[in-house]
Amino acid sequence: MAHFDTEYQRLEASYSDSPPGEENPLMHVPEGAKSQWHHIENLDLFFQRVYNLHQKNGFTCMLLGEIFELVQLLFVVGFTVFLANCVDYDILFANKFVNHTDSSKVTLPDAFLPVDVCSARIRDNAFVIFVLIISGVFWLHRLVKFIYNVCCYWEIRAFYINALKMTMSELPYATWQEVQARIVEIQKEHQICIHKKELTELDIYHRILRFKNYMVAMVNKSLLPVRFRLPGLEESVFYTRGLKYNFELIFFWGPGSLFENEWSLKPEYKRGGNRLELADRLASRILWIGIANLLLCPVILVWQILYAFFSYTEVIKREPGSLGARCWSLYGRCYLRHFNELDHELMSRLSKGYKPASKYMNCFLSPLLTVVAKNVAFFAGSLLAVLIALTIYDEDVLSVEHVLSSITLLGVCITVCRSFIPDKHMVFCPEQLLRVILAHIHYMPDHWQGNAHKYETRDQFSQLFQYKAVFILEELISPVVTPIILIFCLRRKSLEIIDFFRNFTVEVVGVGDTCSFAQMDIRQHGHPAWMSAGKTEASIYQQAEDGKTELSLMHFAITNPQWQPPQETTHFISQLKERVHREAAGASSDTHPLSLSESEPRSLVANLLAGPSTLTSIHFGHDSSLTNQAGLSDGASALRSLSPNSGSLHLRGSLNAAHTSTMSKAMAGSGTDARTVSSGSSAWEGQLTSLVLSEYASTEMSIHALYMHELHKQQSHGELSRHTWHRQDSDESSDSIPDEVRSEPNPRHFPRSHTFPTTVPSPSAIPTSASCMSSTTLGQEGAASNRIGQQGFTNSSSDSFGARGRVVKSARGVPMGGWAEEGQAARRHHETLPEESSEDDMPPHIHKVNAVCV
Amino acid sequence: MNCRSEVLEVTVEARQVEEAMLALLHTILLHRSSGKFHYKKEGTYSIGTVGTLDIDCDFIDFTFVRVSSEELDRVIRKAVSEFKDALSNSGSDGMGQISLEFYQKKKSRWPFSDECIPWEVWSIKVNVVNLANEQERQICREKVGEKLGEKVINVVEVINRHEYLPKMPTQSEVDNVFDTSLKDVQPYLYKITYQITDSLGTSVSTTMRRLIKDTLAL
Repeated sequence: MAHFDTEYQRLEASYSDSPPGEENPLMHVPEGAKSQWHHIENLDLFFQRVYNLHQKNGFTCMLLGEIFELVQLLFVVGFTVFLANCVDYDILFANKFVNHTDSSKVTLPDAFLPVDVCSARIRDNAFVIFVLIISGVFWLHRLVKFIYNVCCYWEIRAFYINALKMTMSELPYATWQEVQARIVEIQKEHQICIHKKELTELDIYHRILRFKNYMVAMVNKSLLPVRFRLPGLEESVFYTRGLKYNFELIFFWGPGSLFENEWSLKPEYKRGGNRLELADRLASRILWIGIANLLLCPVILVWQILYAFFSYTEVIKREPGSLGARCWSLYGRCYLRHFNELDHELMSRLSKGYKPASKYMNCFLSPLLTVVAKNVAFFAGSLLAVLIALTIYDEDVLSVEHVLSSITLLGVCITVCRSFIPDKHMVFCPEQLLRVILAHIHYMPDHWQGNAHKYETRDQFSQLFQYKAVFILEELISPVVTPIILIFCLRRKSLEIIDFFRNFTVEVVGVGDTCSFAQMDIRQHGHPAWMSAGKTEASIYQQAEDGKTELSLMHFAITNPQWQPPQETTHFISQLKERVHREAAGASSDTHPLSLSESEPRSLVANLLAGPSTLTSIHFGHDSSLTNQAGLSDGASALRSLSPNSGSLHLRGSLNAAHTSTMSKAMAGSGTDARTVSSGSSAWEGQLTSLVLSEYASTEMSIHALYMHELHKQQSHGELSRHTWHRQDSDESSDSIPDEVRSEPNPRHFPRSHTFPTTVPSPSAIPTSASCMSSTTLGQEGAASNRIGQQGFTNSSSDSFGARGRVVKSARGVPMGGWAEEGQAARRHHETLPEESSEDDMPPHIHKVNAVCV
Repeated sequence: MNCRSEVLEVTVEARQVEEAMLALLHTILLHRSSGKFHYKKEGTYSIGTVGTLDIDCDFIDFTFVRVSSEELDRVIRKAVSEFKDALSNSGSDGMGQISLEFYQKKKSRWPFSDECIPWEVWSIKVNVVNLANEQERQICREKVGEKLGEKVINVVEVINRHEYLPKMPTQSEVDNVFDTSLKDVQPYLYKITYQITDSLGTSVSTTMRRLIKDTLAL
């Protein structure tokens, strides 16, 4: 037999079938759960706590603060009861004499009643016992909460130290953006969230602000009954903490609420099928909660009074003027809040706006009152001066009965009067002031512009910016009013609420159910009058009012430069930024970009806006508002008025450029991710840059907000004038100024923002479709005019601003937060307005089901 | 929320319920089980072998593969037959859902009990139909077999994705990840629960728990 030489050979290696587990089978090394932070169950709560701990400046501060609060509460209650029951005031007032053997001096302990008398007095007084019981229950509640919190936050502390590698001592000086960058970083390593490999900033925001976004959207769409028109009075806003608590109880977490848990809406609410039944159920729940509120009313009332007494008496005593001071109302906070804006961002914005806002309000002091106040102050002042002079001469005057008290009273009287006398050096320039305010608060109804000097505007602004005294008063009457609002106003809206939650909830992979507005998708929720004309496909019902989507998007993109939005959004942002930058740059070419680096941006805005250039721009605006073309020059001049301010833009740009260069270097050199560098984990300079950047971010946002408002104004003016030209007779139906409603009770105007909520209580599609028609035509016209304006900028490439470091990274193919696929599905579903019942059985757009039905 | 959830839906005849459920649950568990770990020295372990077994269904034209572990089979069978009984006793239109939840235990400090954190939940929705005659039954028998085949591929696709799985534990932690009570196989910790029709709302106890938790967290 021939010997074939083949390549096939017998394997030399001896393989013996050793039974498994005996010899040396495959050995594995367990990774072990090195960190306990992988796969956290309730990420919502987790991120909220991480945020809270950051806001409270670390564990120790929080702990101490809470302990002191508990002690303070105990002290205040105890002390009040003691003062009321255990002091013999006759001795203090010297109406009764104590006969001491050793000395004639009255000592404080003499005035105390003996323990048994004291306790007997307390026991006899039912009211005191009632108060004591309530405070006791409250205190115990606080104590339990405190202990629970300590346990929870101890874990978060460990998370900061072990996972984020931040010590508690450096926490107060770290910005939230930095913390967030680290969280994004460690997700890769620990997989906190198991759905995706990477976490985005938006995911974190969505989780922290899930319910707040819903509330903001509901206020934006005027769904919540917080505005009331009492007969004989003008429209007023009533929104208190108690009411807010009840809303949240009903919608989000109370028994039988719409949400199953923190992150998902109950499935039946996602289907349109039985919306009427669900609305009935919601209505009856609201009724029951309203009744419960009514029953608990006395308890809550007492509690509110106690609470107000405890928390404000000391303040009022210390500075009586504080009651005259103003604060941003709760409604204002909701109205002015962007989607996806954390508390500290909102607060810093509003605090910056506080000064101009109070200045603005002070412009409107009644001259009559001023005259009276001046004279009263004069007389009171002279009396006071005499009394004080006498006292200085001989202090025995003080011992004359009521002299001391009249000195005090006169002092208070003068303080009050002074608050009615305007600052001598103040100039009446409401329009400018309002503009400065707008730069910080970013939102205001359209009709305020140009009407800043009117009393109505002031009244409406005072809804956002109310007297502290009014605030406290509202809180006090809240227990009585809340059940009424719940039972009579909110209950009627139950169907709309059900529809709202169904239409505006999207499920985002890895986040859960969120408010679709919070996705800040221009296409889905943009408003054609706010620069997203042509891009938006939203119906009137879906458009966010006041340009909320657009402004929120800008705000989020500016505060989170690392965020990578989906493609179209990136386009929108870069385009807008380019335009703003160009306008600003065109005006300030003569000023050196860095020349203003030392000065504070905020004061810059203020100075600038008060400067003479604004005046001309306003003047311009007045003249040219009628003609269509002049609109853009108006905007340009308005921006030019901001020109030196744009130095900060440059600064930010150059900083950003430096930043990017280090980033790219680091990336090229060591291959570290850009985020590590930007989070400043390596060097302090990184930290510094991020801090500086976040400070300038607010200025940049202010400029953008002003610009967008300006453009919006032109656009709506343009539309208005066009309409008067084209169809002068039927102009009323097409209300080109969306928010005219807020103030004008004029029935001719079709209230745009109220379109859905108020006019369609019963399923009928007539009014909506009508107004829809008119506004879409408007939108197209707006788009057209907009395009004319844009022409100059569209072809300018982004390289001239590449240095600004926004790093318009080519948007990745991966849709973040499930934009692409969810978005489309959601859009399809949005078409089912509540009026339609044929599509009732359409599946919810939020199904992430991998199933095929058999 | 921090867990994947997959939904499978099947429509079967009453007598097929048990087999269909067994087929799907076993298929999932086959991929979510490993051999017993034998920890050697500090830090290493070897994995034992797992046998597989083909099971032919009586009422469906279908054969599925399961882990050849009688113990595991017994546990699953018990759960499924409970589900089947509940389904037949419910008297309603025969809708039910059985879910297989994989979870991980996390040790907590003293005042709190151990947390069970799910990382993957498979929900199988069952729709029971009544068939009129033998011919329809025959068709159904084949059709359900086909559909189950699709489901199995579906399951395998999901499992093939590289998604989060608990990390391999060290010896001390193995009980937190794997169910080590069985002799011959070691599936990830799992829990089988079922629910007949969509009983509305969460139970009172969970609502109460949430209420308390929420007031505390305020």
